Amino acid sequence: MTEGATGEPVEERPEADQMIVAEDVKKWFGKFQALKGITTSIRRGEVVVVIGPSGSGKSTFIRTINRLERHDSGRIVVDGIELTDDIRNIERIRSEIGMVFQSFNLFPHLSVLRNVTLAPRNVRRWPRRQAEEKARQLLERVGIPEQADKYPAQLSGGQQQRVAIARALAMEPRIMLFDEPTSALDPEMIKEVLDVMKQLAGSGMTMVVVTHEIGFAKEVADRILFFDEGLIVEEGTPDRFFTEPEHDRTRLFLSQIL
Amino acid sequence: MRPRVNLQEDVDLVGLPLEDERPVEVAPARVPATPGEWIRDNLFSSVFNGVLTVVTGALALYLGYQVLRWILVTAEWAVVKANLRIYMIGRFPLEEAWRVWASVFLVAVLGGLSFGVSGHRLRWTLRKAALRAALAALVVGALVFFLDGPRIWILTGSVPVLLAASLKAGRAGYERLRVPLWIGWGLAFPVVMVLLRGFGGVPPKLWGGFLLNVVVAVVAIFLSFPAGVLLAVGRRSSLRAVSSFCVGFIELIRGVPLVTLIIAGFNLLPLMLPSGMDLALIVRMMLIFTIFSAAYVAEIVRGGLQGIPFGQYEAARALGLSTTRILALVILPQALRSTIPAMISHFISLFKDTSLLAVLAITELLRAARRASAQLEFLGAKKEAVLAAAVLFWVVAFSMSRWSQRLERRLGVGER
Repeated sequence: MTEGATGEPVEERPEADQMIVAEDVKKWFGKFQALKGITTSIRRGEVVVVIGPSGSGKSTFIRTINRLERHDSGRIVVDGIELTDDIRNIERIRSEIGMVFQSFNLFPHLSVLRNVTLAPRNVRRWPRRQAEEKARQLLERVGIPEQADKYPAQLSGGQQQRVAIARALAMEPRIMLFDEPTSALDPEMIKEVLDVMKQLAGSGMTMVVVTHEIGFAKEVADRILFFDEGLIVEEGTPDRFFTEPEHDRTRLFLSQIL
Repeated sequence: MRPRVNLQEDVDLVGLPLEDERPVEVAPARVPATPGEWIRDNLFSSVFNGVLTVVTGALALYLGYQVLRWILVTAEWAVVKANLRIYMIGRFPLEEAWRVWASVFLVAVLGGLSFGVSGHRLRWTLRKAALRAALAALVVGALVFFLDGPRIWILTGSVPVLLAASLKAGRAGYERLRVPLWIGWGLAFPVVMVLLRGFGGVPPKLWGGFLLNVVVAVVAIFLSFPAGVLLAVGRRSSLRAVSSFCVGFIELIRGVPLVTLIIAGFNLLPLMLPSGMDLALIVRMMLIFTIFSAAYVAEIVRGGLQGIPFGQYEAARALGLSTTRILALVILPQALRSTIPAMISHFISLFKDTSLLAVLAITELLRAARRASAQLEFLGAKKEAVLAAAVLFWVVAFSMSRWSQRLERRLGVGER
């Protein structure tokens, strides 16, 4: 791998190039084993799309990356820092990882602008002016600068999700995680959110996206991870993955969704 | 009227369209043209409804007549008039009464400014104007009747004047006043305490009447609120010791009648305090009411916390916010807003519960009223004496209720 698909220059030291390294990550919910040993690594600037049937562990996996779920065994190293129980470490890593949820999870009591400035002001300790300037740039970037003073409930789903993306970007993260970002949206609003994500991918952001949007995966992903029953069954470039999948399970899944 | 500079913001705050006085448009159906038609449509639309109208009308007239006759003719209000000072301040010495007046004025000014800053204004429609005029006439009449002499008329009369003037000033000062006002409210309580007690003031054991009810309730409300929030949060703590303590405290206090706690505060608390630490009875009662109220506030807040979707915690966590900041910036603002009705309801009942202090022979308002009616010259005027106390309680409780509705409207912004 000499150059990322996004065209970002690759750094000299290969080990520094790994943004996320997962080694044999396992996770149980009571007796149910959601992750049965996930091993993969994600390069700086890489866009990885995670697909798979529901209950396959794909959401659980990306939620372990910023420790919304604690993994029970194995190792996860994010940008050189291993995830442990040390809460300071976790908060530091979380502030480097932006996350976008299926149900937006905006803070309904705060205006759009304050949703976006909350973390920079309180975690990064930015002065108000700087945080708001950044927030307005980001709202411009996701295409809704005029909504800054509204409240989340006054926006459409697509607008809310774009605010959520701006909110995550406001922390200037090195990694963005997307957990089914378009699944709760009406069809006509999906495109506006995907467009923002494409633009973000084009800017060289390291992204891990759980989604069912095959079009997005084909167009933007550098690599597809296919999850089933807590394991990565198959991975590869979109070209290979969608045209000549190796495993029967993958073929079956693709035949159901395509 | 001067146009408001911040009208738009204000309107957004309330979440109403600009012309909120305009009636909502409905189908242009039957608009009764004359009073006669209105009466026919609304009161006599059928034989049965006509009978109902006549019967309830007669009943209402009869009851109204009886009540009014009692209030205006039969009742002997002299008991209230002669004991008004006991009602309001108990045995607080008359020559020190200026301390109370100064406190009332201070609160009136702060309150008026706050209302003004928060964009409160009187809307004058014909009906509201008539209602207010009637109310004002009633209040002025009652005051002139009950209050002795021009000195007290002027003092009492200056309260609404101060309120109105500072409301106007608050509207003019808007943003500039916001921070000073918070500081003002923060200092108000210590200042009032110094006013009442300080520099040769009146020791708490001489405080009484309505003053006492208000002071105990205000202290309990303002201390139990943060205490209750802490208890509710502590209850959810992952530290076993903390959560057990909170649960134990809440369940213990909630399981005991308030009167028991009051008596415990009278008898037991002095024994539990370190020797040499001698708290005045009133201070101990403030403590008891605070503890009692905190347990209930904690349960109300717990209800609010349970209503917050888990995604809110996750989103806040994913941004790298610390647990404390998540609570303070994301969870509590939402949880507390949803608890306003229950919270104010609890505070209203707490305020009325201060009349239970009568069991300790403390001359709060209710006991003051009963003592007044026990005086030889007013024997038989118990109804009048107690009713007057009830009206005072009602006025304050009703104001709290109205204020909470306002608060809800103001904070109901962008609710999902």
